[in-house]
Amino acid sequence: MSHHLSRRRILHLATASAAGLGLTACGGGGSGAGAGGADGDSGPITVWSWTTAAEALRGVVPSFERDNPGIKVDVQDLGNPAIWDKITVGLASGGKGLADVLHIGVDYLPGYMQKFPRGLADLSKLGADRHKDAFAEGLWPTVVGKDKAVHALPWEVNPLGLFYRHDYFEKAGVDPASLTSWDDLIAAGPKIRAATGAQLLGLDKPGTTQDMDFFQNLMQLQGAFYFDHEGKVTLASPEAIQALTVIKRLNDTGLLADTAGQGTWKRLVGQGKLATAPYPAWAIEYLATKFPAQSGKWRVMQPPAAVPGGGRSAIVNSTYLTVSATSKRRKAAWRFVEYALTKPAEINRMFASGGVFPALKSAYDDPKFSAPHPFYGGQQVLRSFVDSLHAGADATNFTGDYSRALKLASDAQSQVLVKGADPAEALKAAAKQLAQQTGRQQAA
Amino acid sequence: MSLAPPGRVPERAPDSRPASGPGSGDPAGPAAAAAPRKTPGRGDPGASTDPGSHAAHGRPATPARRRLLTRGSFPYLLIMPAVLGFAVFKAYPIAASFWISLTTGSGDEQRFAGLANYERLLTDPLFWTALKNTGLILVVQVPLMLGLALLVALGLNSTKVWLRPLWRLGVFVPSLTGLVAAGVMFSVILNRDAGLLNWVLSLFGIDPVNWLGSPFWARVAVVLVITWHYTGYNAVMYLAGLQGIPKELYEAAMVDGAGPVRRFFAITLPQLRPILLLTVVLSTIGTLQLFDEPYVLTGGGPDNSTLTVTMYLYDNGFTYFDFGYASALAYALALIVSVLGIIQVRLMGERR
Repeated sequence: MSHHLSRRRILHLATASAAGLGLTACGGGGSGAGAGGADGDSGPITVWSWTTAAEALRGVVPSFERDNPGIKVDVQDLGNPAIWDKITVGLASGGKGLADVLHIGVDYLPGYMQKFPRGLADLSKLGADRHKDAFAEGLWPTVVGKDKAVHALPWEVNPLGLFYRHDYFEKAGVDPASLTSWDDLIAAGPKIRAATGAQLLGLDKPGTTQDMDFFQNLMQLQGAFYFDHEGKVTLASPEAIQALTVIKRLNDTGLLADTAGQGTWKRLVGQGKLATAPYPAWAIEYLATKFPAQSGKWRVMQPPAAVPGGGRSAIVNSTYLTVSATSKRRKAAWRFVEYALTKPAEINRMFASGGVFPALKSAYDDPKFSAPHPFYGGQQVLRSFVDSLHAGADATNFTGDYSRALKLASDAQSQVLVKGADPAEALKAAAKQLAQQTGRQQAA
Repeated sequence: MSLAPPGRVPERAPDSRPASGPGSGDPAGPAAAAAPRKTPGRGDPGASTDPGSHAAHGRPATPARRRLLTRGSFPYLLIMPAVLGFAVFKAYPIAASFWISLTTGSGDEQRFAGLANYERLLTDPLFWTALKNTGLILVVQVPLMLGLALLVALGLNSTKVWLRPLWRLGVFVPSLTGLVAAGVMFSVILNRDAGLLNWVLSLFGIDPVNWLGSPFWARVAVVLVITWHYTGYNAVMYLAGLQGIPKELYEAAMVDGAGPVRRFFAITLPQLRPILLLTVVLSTIGTLQLFDEPYVLTGGGPDNSTLTVTMYLYDNGFTYFDFGYASALAYALALIVSVLGIIQVRLMGERR
């Protein structure tokens, strides 16, 4: 009897551990993701976000809870970049331990959608499609998965602008209106440096932070990126080579400061050693709060084109709110997402509390988008970014392999800036490696 | 108790530390330092198993079998939590990770792929770059650090040094610093234009060094930070070893007319051999798993000159969601670590 029992027990244990192995082997996750979810529409929900955005979201909670009795919202600030590890690990383990609502950036969203197709809830089932035209152009394609399901709603959009030191330009006798391309800026740079001692802009030359925004902006201004819309690799396209060539010319003429290392960029701006900052909309309040002593000295203009006569608007990046597929209260979570992101009053309240530039078009009707900003000498800075969005920008296909592309592009850029490599050669090698690593084709 | 086999050390025997007796004049020098640590471990289970079997003989069979807590099972009960913990949190993930290393795809779309990930590893230029960087840091940094640690330990052991506790604390404090905090701190110190180190160098008329921006100096910077962080830790281990060396050995050597250098090579080094081996193996493993410092300091740059194998592993797993390949990298690294460890133990431990 006891023999029999123990043998059965051993068999049982063996199956259990085999099943356990199988589960993990499926990658975390396998078929399990999504199975644990339910469409509960009341009870407590949690939201993961980071820093200022989390704080802004908390501002929505009181009115939401008043309008939706029965739902309690807990907004947690996980910090950036820690939040990406938490979400990745959660999705990889089949959605265990994830919050109900997740704040995700465009650099991660396509990767999550592609690689964990059952990880994020299908919001079209809950009615997301009715907001299709409500957001800035170029954003909706990024929330639709291969399965045509909608997996997120846009919250933040970052149109590109060129922040510049108005006082430096005046001192050097440079008219910002005359600067329509980066060629013009490279020509004006030495004049500005001679008059003020400031370099044009700062870049993390050795690529310690893989901050490739500037390179990407120069591609985006030409309607290009690492991948085309079919997902083919375009890292060695003429547009990419042009972008890296502009950066190399800036470096060769001594207009590029090295901002590698903690807080270097901030220090250089604080010391007045940088004349411009090609940054998106989030920098409006960032500059104003970090450098109050420079109030009145900055202005914003449309970014110069990457090629003479080329386009002058680009969407640098965007962030989204999503609902995890394993959430036990998907309806409640969706109600919060919809409440926070599609009501102009709520979205503008978040924006006012130091939050992010809204993607919701109806939010721009608010009078504050035409208000003069004292830090920018009374310029209507928000209006200029809204105009830039109205000018239209191409949707960028980040794909699920964005982070590999980013790494290889960063390597190519530092080869050019640190070792003096040729932009075309460096990008060709990077594109070849990217195609190899991802199994994607290179565009002709 | 009386059933203990002849010659076996009984429980709490007064002579359970025989080899440590300094007066024995034991010629088998190197063994002396390790022996005291081994004896209690060997004595205890033996002493308690035997009485257990004794009890089983003296009583009716059935109740003895049913009883969970016997003197024989007691040690097993004591180690049970550790074994269970190991099985759940170590053995299982290790096995699962091996299985994952045989799959490919990304995210939650994994399929069995045999050894494809390991083949890919052999032709991946970034893996070889990472391995080369790690190897270079290993070859340069470990000897440098351990040499330095030995010097520091000799200094701290000397009775001529005033305020010894204070010095010891100062040497050990860096190892208490969080790795990320150390990385952030050094990225400020090593900043080219505004860093402390370049400012100090400028006092001597030396041009600013691009610590984090040039491939060569970035490697130097990483070596510098790890050395700063772990030298004190190793020095403390050496110090403990130095203090375990019987003074009589030195006295005897001095009577025979051996000078300080001769005493160092003939007594100190051989006596320290087990500890030297320990630190070499630990440092090798630690360096091969190097992650935090270059991650915070250089992000693996510029142009991958400070990319380490674990950083590449992390990127593949958590940035590219390529868990299969990341697991294969982990297994490749584990293999390298084991082979190196075995070689070191063979080379340095042969005389034991």
